[in-house]
Amino acid sequence: MLYVRGVLAVVMIALGLVILARMLVVASAGFAIVPGLVLGAAMIALGFHRLSLILRNRRMT
Amino acid sequence: MAAKKAGPEPELRRSVTPWGSFAWGYSDVGADIFVGLGLVLAWAAGASNVAFLFAGVVYVCIGLAYTELAATYPVAGGGQYFVMRGLGDIFGFIAGWAVLLDFTIDVTLFAWSSVDYTSQLAPALVNSVHPWLHFVVVLGLVVGLCLLNVVGVRESTAFNGVVSALDVLSETLILCLGFLFAFQPQLLLHAMHFNWPTPYQLMLGTSLAIVSFVGLESISQAAQETQRPASIIPRTSVALILTILIFALAYSNLALGLHPWHPILDASGHPIQFWQIFPHNADNQGKAVALLAAQIPYYGAFAALYVPVLGAVLLLISSNSGVFGSSRIAYAMSRTDLLPSIFQRVHATFRTPVISIAFFSTIALVELLFAAAPGLFPALGSLYARFFHGENGLEFLADLYAFGAATSYSFVFLGLIALRLSDPLSPRKFKIPFNINMRFRGERVELPVIAVIGFLGIFSILLFTLRTHALGRIFGPSWLLLGLILYLVYRKHRRLPLLRSQPRNWRADQINILRRAGELELMDQYLANLKASDARRSGEQT
Repeated sequence: MLYVRGVLAVVMIALGLVILARMLVVASAGFAIVPGLVLGAAMIALGFHRLSLILRNRRMT
Repeated sequence: MAAKKAGPEPELRRSVTPWGSFAWGYSDVGADIFVGLGLVLAWAAGASNVAFLFAGVVYVCIGLAYTELAATYPVAGGGQYFVMRGLGDIFGFIAGWAVLLDFTIDVTLFAWSSVDYTSQLAPALVNSVHPWLHFVVVLGLVVGLCLLNVVGVRESTAFNGVVSALDVLSETLILCLGFLFAFQPQLLLHAMHFNWPTPYQLMLGTSLAIVSFVGLESISQAAQETQRPASIIPRTSVALILTILIFALAYSNLALGLHPWHPILDASGHPIQFWQIFPHNADNQGKAVALLAAQIPYYGAFAALYVPVLGAVLLLISSNSGVFGSSRIAYAMSRTDLLPSIFQRVHATFRTPVISIAFFSTIALVELLFAAAPGLFPALGSLYARFFHGENGLEFLADLYAFGAATSYSFVFLGLIALRLSDPLSPRKFKIPFNINMRFRGERVELPVIAVIGFLGIFSILLFTLRTHALGRIFGPSWLLLGLILYLVYRKHRRLPLLRSQPRNWRADQINILRRAGELELMDQYLANLKASDARRSGEQT
C-alpha cells in the first residue's frame, strides 16, 4: 500500500511539472497563466508532502 | 421534584480514525467542486480560474486557521467554540448560528445536486422537466440521511471513507488524462482574453467560488470524536487543503482550456467552447464535473457512465456531513449555554444528539421547499422573478451557503487572533507560519499575519455576497437576526448575561479538554506553562 501511495505522489509531481511546462510555453500571456502556475506548484507541493509522510512512516516501521 | 439520576452523562464516542478524519473533511469539501464548478463557470466565464484562485488563497488561510485551532482546542463544535473563547458568548453564538445555516443548506444543496448528477443517467430526474419527481427524491434523501445519523457515526465514517478514496482516485485520473490529452493552453488564453466578465459578474463568481471550499471545519467538528486529535488533525488538514485547492484550480483551468472530444454546437449550429454550455442552463450547472469528464478523449466514454454515479454518492455523503455537522455544533452550543439544553440530549443507545439531528434536518427541509417552490408551483415563479431576480433553486441555496460561510469564517479569523493574544499559554502543536512577536498583558504573544490577510479576503467575499446575491442579502441577515432574538430570549429566561459572557474557568476547561482527548503530553506542557506564568507574575508583584 505504501508503494502505491508513493507512486501516486510521484505521478502528482510529474503532472505538476507537465502543467508548469505547458503554461510556461505561453508565458507571454502574462497574468493569464498565473492560476495555471499556482496549480502546477500546488501539485508539486502536495506530491512532496505525501512523499515526506511516506518516508517518515517507513522510518518509523 | 424528581432527583436527577446519578452516573456519568453520555458523551460522544471517540471512533474517528486518521483516515476517518480526512474522509469527513474530504466528503464535505471534496464534493463542493461538483456543485461550485458549473455555477462559477456560468457567472465568472473566462475569469473562472481567477475566481477560484482568489477564493482558494482565502481557503488556504481558513484551512490553516482551523488546523491550528482544532489541534489546540479539540472539542465538538469547532468554529463557534473558538470564537466564543476568543471574543465572547454573543460572537460565538453568531459564528455558530451562521455555520448552522451553512450546514442545513449543505444538507439540502448537496442532496439536490446529487439528484442532478443522477439525472445525467436517469433523464426522468431532470429538474426542469420533472420538478415534482426531483423534489420527492431529494426529500427522501434528506429524511434517509437524518435516520442514518441517528443510528451513529461509526457506520457513516466507514461509508465516507470508501467513497472518498474512490473519488480521489477518479478525480486524479480525470485531471491527469484531461491535462495530458484534452487541454490546450491557447484555448484557455482565448477564453480569458475574449470572455472576461464584468466586475459585477466577477464578484458574483468569486463569492460562488467560495462554495467550492466550504466544509474543512468538518474535521474540527469531529475533533471530539477523533483519536489523538492534536496529532492527527494537522496531518490530515494539510493534505486536505492542498488536495482541494488542486482539484478546484485544475477543474477550472481544464474547463476553460478543454478541447472537447465531441464538438459542442450552439442553437445555430456554431461550435462553442466547453464552458459556454453553463450560462443560463441550471440543469448543466448542477452536473458540471460529469459533463467535463465525458469530454476527455476515449476515457470519456467510460467516465460518462461512472462519474455521475460517483458524483451523486459523494454529494450524498457531503449532505450527510451537513446533518452530522449541524447536530454537533448545536450539541456544543447547548453545552455552553448558547442554545437550550435540549440540543445536548444524547440518545441512550446510539449516543448521538438525536434532538439536534431532527431539528436541523427539519430546517433543511424548509429550505428545500423554498428552493423548489418556483419549479413546483409555476404561479410563484413570477413572484420570485419580481423580488429575487428570478434565481433558480440551486442559486438560492448557493447564495445562502456563501453568506453563512463568509460570515462564520470572518469571525473565526478574529477569534484566532484574539486567542493568540488572550491564551498564549495553550500549547499549539501546529501553528500558522509568519507571525509577529510582541508582548501583550505581560506575556509574549505572536500575531498571525496570515489570519489578518485571510480575514481581509473572506470579509471582501462577504461584501461581494451582500452586493451581488439578491436572496443571500435578504435571507442571510434575516437568519442571523432571528437567531439573535432567540438567543436573547433564551439568555433572559435563564437569567444569564445578555450581551456579556458568562464567567468561565478556561484553564480548568483546557486541562479537561486535553485529558479527554488523550493528549497528556500537551496537558503536562500546559500545566508547566501555567505554573511558570503564575510564578513570573507573583515575582513581578513582589
